[in-house]
Amino acid sequence: MTKESLLSVRGLSLQVAHRGVEVVRDVSFDIEAGEIFGIVGESGSGKTLATRALISLLPPAIRVTGGTVTYKGRDVLAMSNNALRQLRGAEIGVVFQEPMTSLNPSMTIGRQLEEGLILHTKISGDERRSRILDMLARVGIGDPQGALAAYPHEFSGGMRQRIMLASVMLLKPALLIADEPTTALDAVIQRDVMELMVELTRAEGTAVLLISHDLPMVARYTSRIVVMEKGAIVEQGTTKQLLEAPQHPYTKKLLSSLPFRGEVRAIDLSAAPMVSARDIVVDYAGRKSLMKKGAPKRALHGVSIDIREGEVVALVGGSGSGKTTLGRTIAGLVHQSEGQILFQGRERDADWRDYRLNCQMVFQDPYSSLDPRMTIAALVEEALRLVPGIDGAAKKKRALETLEEVGLGADYALRYPHELSGGQRQRVAIARAIARRPKFLIADEPVSALDVTVRAQVLDLFSDLQKRYGFSCLFISHDLGVVEQIADRVVVMQDGRIIEEGDRNTIFDSPKEAYTRRLLSAIPALDQNEQGGVKLKWRLEN
Amino acid sequence: MKNYTLNGLIGGFLIAALLVTAAIGLFWTPYDPMKLSFTARLAAPSAAHWLGTDEFGRDVTSRLMIGARASVWIGFLTVAFAAVCGTLIGLVSGYARGWVDAVIMAVNNALLAFPGILLALGLLAVFGANQYGIIFALGIAYTPSMARVVRGAVLSLREREFIEASKVMGNGEIYTMARHILPNCLAPITVLSTSMFGWAILSESALSFLGLGVPPPAPTWGNMLAAGRPFIEQAIWLGLFPGLCIALTLLGINLLGDALRDKLDPRMRGLK
Repeated sequence: MTKESLLSVRGLSLQVAHRGVEVVRDVSFDIEAGEIFGIVGESGSGKTLATRALISLLPPAIRVTGGTVTYKGRDVLAMSNNALRQLRGAEIGVVFQEPMTSLNPSMTIGRQLEEGLILHTKISGDERRSRILDMLARVGIGDPQGALAAYPHEFSGGMRQRIMLASVMLLKPALLIADEPTTALDAVIQRDVMELMVELTRAEGTAVLLISHDLPMVARYTSRIVVMEKGAIVEQGTTKQLLEAPQHPYTKKLLSSLPFRGEVRAIDLSAAPMVSARDIVVDYAGRKSLMKKGAPKRALHGVSIDIREGEVVALVGGSGSGKTTLGRTIAGLVHQSEGQILFQGRERDADWRDYRLNCQMVFQDPYSSLDPRMTIAALVEEALRLVPGIDGAAKKKRALETLEEVGLGADYALRYPHELSGGQRQRVAIARAIARRPKFLIADEPVSALDVTVRAQVLDLFSDLQKRYGFSCLFISHDLGVVEQIADRVVVMQDGRIIEEGDRNTIFDSPKEAYTRRLLSAIPALDQNEQGGVKLKWRLEN
Repeated sequence: MKNYTLNGLIGGFLIAALLVTAAIGLFWTPYDPMKLSFTARLAAPSAAHWLGTDEFGRDVTSRLMIGARASVWIGFLTVAFAAVCGTLIGLVSGYARGWVDAVIMAVNNALLAFPGILLALGLLAVFGANQYGIIFALGIAYTPSMARVVRGAVLSLREREFIEASKVMGNGEIYTMARHILPNCLAPITVLSTSMFGWAILSESALSFLGLGVPPPAPTWGNMLAAGRPFIEQAIWLGLFPGLCIALTLLGINLLGDALRDKLDPRMRGLK
């Protein structure tokens, strides 16, 4: 098998040079020509560093301490810089995670795409141009001619990732390394880009090394997978075997951390809604030019939503659908230009103080939602500052109790946010939100910044707390898997309008709108088996 | 965990030495710094006069000790003035945005367009050339830079989610500014303040050198430096020691400022 392998890694070990910490340990795998091969792991698993070593693009602080990387019979780690330059791009292409920063913002698309061709081929200018136009059309850029002179900021994230893909595939590499290529994109676009990548590489016979934390996504496209944890490979095998009969406890843990459908709960639908938004219209001011104001951009076109007592309503949609704007409007962070928001049957603004005490919010990014200069205890205690009827000592006690409830013991109380992991920070954010015992909670993508296993823990915590305190919740997410686990009812938004709503099982099992079906096609339906494995079923788009 | 860095220690030592010298100078100096002595004009450093004497026979050591007090006092008050005014202006401007910000920043930019020393010269003409005139003039001249830096920090902070979180908790704007925004601006304020302390001492020296500072015979390091200039060939100590004092003080302040910034920021604790 080693003979015909395109790329073969044997016993690769990497160290942080000055501290001697081993970040990648004895990693071995082979990639055959034309296959799609996956590496799955959470942050800190060493998956990115290991693949950077394949093209000798390691950060300066990281040293190779052992092992070999053989590409078509040549030792990559022993190559000269010159030979490496010939290898990168022409033979091995790379698509990075962040489409916002992987294209040079001050160069036109045309020039960026041309760079690689000039460097690695000897074809004429006219031919370069026609190849570029051809490739841009293939990746689905509507106006290839116009795109040549355009700059990256003129394209959305999904389009940029397509352009990135075009620039890599122009050189027809034998291997494409795709490091979390779609993580920054929303579910629908994620799927489009992946399908495109598979189609293009299949047509060119390019092998793909797909690196991601998203096991179902990797499983969908790959034939073989390795699972990495803490710098080492814990399990490898064919995709089917790995999913359905996982051997290593970590793989089992990863699989059981995938979101599964939650139970159906009885919600009293006849009761008056806790929060009710009626015909909300939100306009964002247009871009100001020197002489006049631009036309305002309408983010929400008359949206109505009800959230009943104890109900978890999920608001789903792609980026730009207006789901976050609706959440922020209901929270009072954005002012609607038309429409009405009722809380417990009364106009929200009539008793603002009461609403503020009863409506709390959990934000997406646990790295920026906690004041870095406050201790954990102070952060939670601050939420109680304006609550009437409890004195200082009681506030302190309640803050510590709440921290205990979210699984952070007393020894965390005096730490600062930067000393905590992402999951722990999000626990603090949840503690802060529930410390007041609010009746209504808005959670804006609360788990999308977290690793798979941590996400599962935080979601469980969230469900537990919701059951214990019975608060109503508006749960905003682009990840339908998470929604399937946690929501009672699902509201689908597109382009500032609600296009479909219904209880969770109805939406997931028999969606009516084409857009909802597209959203659902991005996530698998999971069947758990006795060996701790799962069977993935993909909902087909029609 | 190492609590002190070598740089911080050196800075702390230099500043402590300065403060102690200035404090001692309040009560005791080797000689009366104002006393003229024509027998000991331009004496070289010796056991009697450690750092020599000037063209009027006054003891340089004594005058430097008195001058330290003036320099520290002027530097401190100038920075305090600029830091307080600049921070307030920057906070309001960055947090309010809109026309308030536009007006404040227009005035601020106009002031920034003036060279600081020129602005101070103009203001000194209004306030009169004395210690408090200098403090006001330099304080006003430095306020725009501070306002600008604080506004920049506030602009980036106000978009952070923890500021929104504070709004959702129902906290008022003043509370949010004081509790969340101001503490997170402290790092740039500290860094800029320490450099400003240095600039203030330097500018005071420059103004005194130009004859617009604290009027003689009262000594400041700046006017001593200026007075030493004509005698640089016969008596280099007249210029050398005040210059050395200014340089060492600036060094100390910069080292201490960096150490303080790291110390004040919880994110920097526990590193290294």
